[in-house]
Amino acid sequence: MKTSPILETVNLTKVFPGVIALDDVSLKLFPGEVLGLVGENGAGKSTLMKLIGGVYTPSKGQIFYQGEETHFRTPKDALDAGISIVYQELNLIPHLSVAENIFINRLPRRSGFVDWRKLYADTRRILEGSGMEGIDPRAIVADLPIGVKQSVEIAKALSYDARIILFDEPTSSLTGPEIENLFAVIRRLQERGIGIIYVSHHLDEIFEITDRIHILRDGKTVAVMPTAEADEETVVSRMVGRDIQNIYYKGEHTPAEVALEASGISDHFLKGVNFKVRRSEVVGIYGLLGSGRTELLKALIGARPIKGGEVKLNGRKVRFKHPHDAIKNGVIYSSEDRKGENLFFGNPIWKNITYLAIQVGRFVKSGFTQVKEERAAASEYAKRLNVKAPSIDVDVYNLSGGNQQKVCLAKALINDPDVILLDEPTRGIDVGAKLEIYRLIADLAEQGKAVVFVSSELPEIIGCTDRVYTMSEGRVTAELLGDDINEENVLKYCLEIGAAEGATS
Amino acid sequence: MKLNKSLFSSSEFIVLLGLLAIGAFFAFTSPVFLTKFNLLNILLQSSIQGIIAIGMTFVILTAGIDLSVGSVVALSGVIMALMLHAGVPVWLVILLNLVFGVAIGVFHGFSITKIGMAPFIVTLATMAMARGLTMVLSDGKTIFDFPASFEFFGAGTIGPISVAVIIFLLYAFLAEVLLRSTVLGRNIYAVGSNPKAAALSGIRTQWILYFVYIVSGISCAIAGLVLTGRLGAAMPTAATGYELDAIAAVIIGGASLMGGKGTIVGTIIGVLLIGVINNGMNLLNVPPFWQSFLKGAVIFLAVMIDSLKNRQVEV
Repeated sequence: MKTSPILETVNLTKVFPGVIALDDVSLKLFPGEVLGLVGENGAGKSTLMKLIGGVYTPSKGQIFYQGEETHFRTPKDALDAGISIVYQELNLIPHLSVAENIFINRLPRRSGFVDWRKLYADTRRILEGSGMEGIDPRAIVADLPIGVKQSVEIAKALSYDARIILFDEPTSSLTGPEIENLFAVIRRLQERGIGIIYVSHHLDEIFEITDRIHILRDGKTVAVMPTAEADEETVVSRMVGRDIQNIYYKGEHTPAEVALEASGISDHFLKGVNFKVRRSEVVGIYGLLGSGRTELLKALIGARPIKGGEVKLNGRKVRFKHPHDAIKNGVIYSSEDRKGENLFFGNPIWKNITYLAIQVGRFVKSGFTQVKEERAAASEYAKRLNVKAPSIDVDVYNLSGGNQQKVCLAKALINDPDVILLDEPTRGIDVGAKLEIYRLIADLAEQGKAVVFVSSELPEIIGCTDRVYTMSEGRVTAELLGDDINEENVLKYCLEIGAAEGATS
Repeated sequence: MKLNKSLFSSSEFIVLLGLLAIGAFFAFTSPVFLTKFNLLNILLQSSIQGIIAIGMTFVILTAGIDLSVGSVVALSGVIMALMLHAGVPVWLVILLNLVFGVAIGVFHGFSITKIGMAPFIVTLATMAMARGLTMVLSDGKTIFDFPASFEFFGAGTIGPISVAVIIFLLYAFLAEVLLRSTVLGRNIYAVGSNPKAAALSGIRTQWILYFVYIVSGISCAIAGLVLTGRLGAAMPTAATGYELDAIAAVIIGGASLMGGKGTIVGTIIGVLLIGVINNGMNLLNVPPFWQSFLKGAVIFLAVMIDSLKNRQVEV
């Protein structure tokens, strides 16, 4: 290939008490190359990134940077040497300006005071050098859209004269146009000879932006291939370790009578949304972040006050004032935000699974919880959903994203609800867990449940649902059925901004 | 079960070791420390702090704080004293005192959940207001002379054990059972651990917040009853600074100010630790100014050990 690698790891191994997180991994990164790093959760991607970025020190093996062996002790060492990590969760200080954030611990000084003129000039120079001239160095970070914030994070990396930038799931909260922007920036960096490692669960992005793909499984390298020679099926089978015929799965079920129906739902954001889901049906809702999908589901269960419209459950008018009422009536919502809104970190798996059930009096006798029954039921559901953990006493904080999501689903399903509203149940989880969740959703519909499946991933919406609503800016912009559920249609309607009022039946 | 492991690595266990170590130190340095009389005395001294700290535990479990407790204890004492002097029967005085405690809790709960004020600020305001009212109502003077049936709750004994200690232990037992084994208790932990997830799981988080501040208010009312009975006097400056000791005891006992973590058992060990230090330093004739410093240093050390331990687990 081109020249000599800018970064090379040789037989890199990292052992944690009881686990080999990374096992003998040798990786090469060339200047100006985008290397895709893929693998299921727990495959060792983060460990590898953290070893390169100086967060961990290797148990065995070497890291060569620009031809010389290095021993970074702290992230600061790596940063100073020119290796930056842009994390999924951005590390910016919201109330400071773009320039202050970029130079946060190295503000230029003149006789003890901040040299603002130099600060802004330096910032502008960095932004202009990487296709981000549209960003105002004086803008307050909190006011910026998330995509721009990410650019600021990249600019911060560049301000350290980065030679290598590691991106950890950089698009998890970006919208389509923002992703395109990010890719444009990455290409600019590539032209400047910067080596880039790109970690993502989104294979479409991997195929679009990377030059080579490095696949990890169980801490080991299982394949390295040029992107041009790879296809999705091969990559997924190598990641999962078995052949994958059909990723998406609809199952066998025939939609029956309407279970939950909403008409004219409005609040300060939602604008007269009509929506229904039948028993034995999987309804997809597709829309970008901020399109109103989460708001709609929360309005339906009474977690958001609504100003207008009505909700019918099995043909009967209902008014849920609190999620408690919805849960009592068999309508359950599972939030996309596992850490922020769904799970109780610091608590064991079993308590997380039964929290919702004990609210409606299950496993409870005159106010006292029946821990034995609770644990038995939690254990059963954890097994049924294939939660991988040594025991149900493990803190959910220690589980991988996919297993956390399964705990969320166990929590939602343990009450045997009739209507299940799943908000992005596959977000940020690995392919293996995704497949299990697709199967589970189909099973639920077969059992006669009404299932709503919100997603920002087109293929799964198209592949797993019977009917699709597209949303944009608080409205339903289309309702698609059968063959009309295709990529072109879904994208067209979800980008239809300010479209004619809810074109639904 | 994994009982052993969790027992020995728990915050409570470490603080218990600290308590025993400090106890052993005082036992060697003071001949009086280990006498039955002195140990019962420590328990008695700790009972008022303990009752307040139990209420504080509920509040801190929801990531809240109640700075008003000391002032509310004093106000409760003065109100009861005035009612007794006005000829209100003792049983009614006690009942109305509990109603007063509930009212304080409702006021805090309302301000926090309905108006959206920060617990720190609301209870800071109550702390000043309650102390001010105490002064106004008592005219700044100590009020004496109560019926024996009233003083029984603070100064009485049943066998060798004082009533105050019995009230404290009974109250602690009830609180422990509530937190450990009821849905309500579980919901208190849930709200502290993740309020948004709690609401979406069907927990009425506002009710929970009302409840914990009401428990704190009732705890102050009970503490007011015991303190006033024990002193045989309602002093307008009583219980000054108790809020800090109560918070310290709860945190020493392993609770987190971020909510969702802590137990009554831990709190009681924390209260006893502070009680033993106070008692031992008195026995050793440590000058009062140094007592304050040393007590602070021990609190710092106790919380430091817990933080260091948790830091290792986290990263």
